[in-house]
Amino acid sequence: MKKLKIFLRSLLKFMALGGYLIFALIPLYWVLITSFKGPKELYTFPITFWPKSLDIENYKFLFSFANFGIYFRNSLLVSLGASFGALIVSVLSGYGLSRIGFKKLSNGLLLAMYLTQMIPGFLLMLPLFLMLSKFGMINNLFVLGIIYIDMVIAFGTIMSKGFFDRIPVSLEEAALIDGCGTLEVLYRIVLPVSLPAIMAIFSFFFVNIWNELFLAVMFLSSNDKMTIPAALNSFISKAGISWGVMSAGLVVALLPTIIVFAFAQKYIIAGLTEGAVKE
Amino acid sequence: MSRNLKLFIMVLPTIILLVIFTYIPIGQEIQIAFENYNLYNLSNIYFNGFDNFIDIFTSVDFNFAQIVLNTVIWVVVSLAFQFTLGFGLALLLKKPFKGRGIYSGLVFYPWAVSGFAIGLVWAWIFNGQFGLINGILMRLGIINQGIGFLSDPHFALASVIVVNIWYGIPFFAIMLLAALQSVPEELYEAAKIDGAGRFRRLVNVTIPYIRPTIASTILLRTMWILNFPDIIYAMTNGGPANSTNTLANYMIIKMYSFYNYGQAAAIGFIIMSILMIYAIIYLSIFSRLERGII
Repeated sequence: MKKLKIFLRSLLKFMALGGYLIFALIPLYWVLITSFKGPKELYTFPITFWPKSLDIENYKFLFSFANFGIYFRNSLLVSLGASFGALIVSVLSGYGLSRIGFKKLSNGLLLAMYLTQMIPGFLLMLPLFLMLSKFGMINNLFVLGIIYIDMVIAFGTIMSKGFFDRIPVSLEEAALIDGCGTLEVLYRIVLPVSLPAIMAIFSFFFVNIWNELFLAVMFLSSNDKMTIPAALNSFISKAGISWGVMSAGLVVALLPTIIVFAFAQKYIIAGLTEGAVKE
Repeated sequence: MSRNLKLFIMVLPTIILLVIFTYIPIGQEIQIAFENYNLYNLSNIYFNGFDNFIDIFTSVDFNFAQIVLNTVIWVVVSLAFQFTLGFGLALLLKKPFKGRGIYSGLVFYPWAVSGFAIGLVWAWIFNGQFGLINGILMRLGIINQGIGFLSDPHFALASVIVVNIWYGIPFFAIMLLAALQSVPEELYEAAKIDGAGRFRRLVNVTIPYIRPTIASTILLRTMWILNFPDIIYAMTNGGPANSTNTLANYMIIKMYSFYNYGQAAAIGFIIMSILMIYAIIYLSIFSRLERGII
């Protein structure tokens, strides 16, 4: 009787986990097989649940006629560049806030950073757009990158400060007495033991910036400047873009952050749950 | 130069960037909310008092009461399901089993994907003619004709909420799983000796112990869902007939489709006011949590 109960319980658990796995993976499966369906199979009725043949026409069209290579390059450039820039800026400020001798100042600045976290990016895009268009600084990937840096550094500072706070200062004090400069201490002593935190912060930045849509649509008007989300947005209203081509574009949009997540999952989860759990 | 000054200089770039690109724009946003500011008529920008707000509240095409109601439903229903399912998933993943690491990698990935891109994928899944869901329902013989999930006002809001639930489960599962793993095993042992069953242990031991995490994730996520137009923008852009429009998406429509920046900023002002009130409530609840009152 007891054995049966345990068996039924594991069966139930197994079914729940399996059911959720299917629910979680369905969109990924469906977008992948749609991207390999040729125009004929795409709009047949009734629909096919498994692809009959692997047709790479959609990807060929995407990268030749739809210029997706350029969008991919733009996205990669702005995401990597802005993530690196934001990493440097926020590690510096996180370390500064963590070690500065005036607690009131550091708490006040930290609060000012927490406040910006409440403001969603799309709320700021209108004033930013009007301000930057006055100086002719729109439709410019570099300027967009600076805005992206601004978008993520408050979070990066809060996160890196939390991490630096837990590194004992005694290590640094010895080096300071030996005559090392402030930056040198950060670079030689603190950063090497902070690599997991840095991985987590960088992955956060990359994922957020790669996925950003609304500012990119507002700021990038010419075709050769668009990032992947902005290009996909323009596909919606463009004639001649089938759901097959759209799906191929979506696969290219989705895969990089899924890969980053797969590799950095351990660090991302540690970073996400940081501070959320009572020790 | 003193060490403290050097440390302050290290913080300076962040402060300068936040002032220029966040704090000054917030001020301008508030100013534009009270101006007649239209891209079609840029030579005629002037202070117009509360006109933008009056236009928004009295609009016939975009019924404001409906948009507020949609926003409330969008937030409350999404949050309730995201939390319940995320908590359930975290409980299932609490005890180690073979392949748990790979499993969590496979189900947590929605956290990392673009809400806009995955919204488009789901729009295709919900497609009224060639969509997967209609395909399955027809194969099973439940329906003969495709249902227009995103074109029928009866189904559209429910459909976008399903996608939002899918998108938000991993966040709660990740946060609550970490909290669950911090509950000391001795507490369960003690409860077992007292004869408490599984359900009693969940209610009397687990939930009280992780209450701070539950409260803070729910409070944070409420604000986050309120400000998350990506999925709705991708799937329906507020339609059909305003049935999925939320405040956040409404602001985007005013900017992208009407170029009415004054009204867009006025909606932004309303969102910001809600956020302010919410932040005050959040901080007061949180300080009580810290002092152990709740």
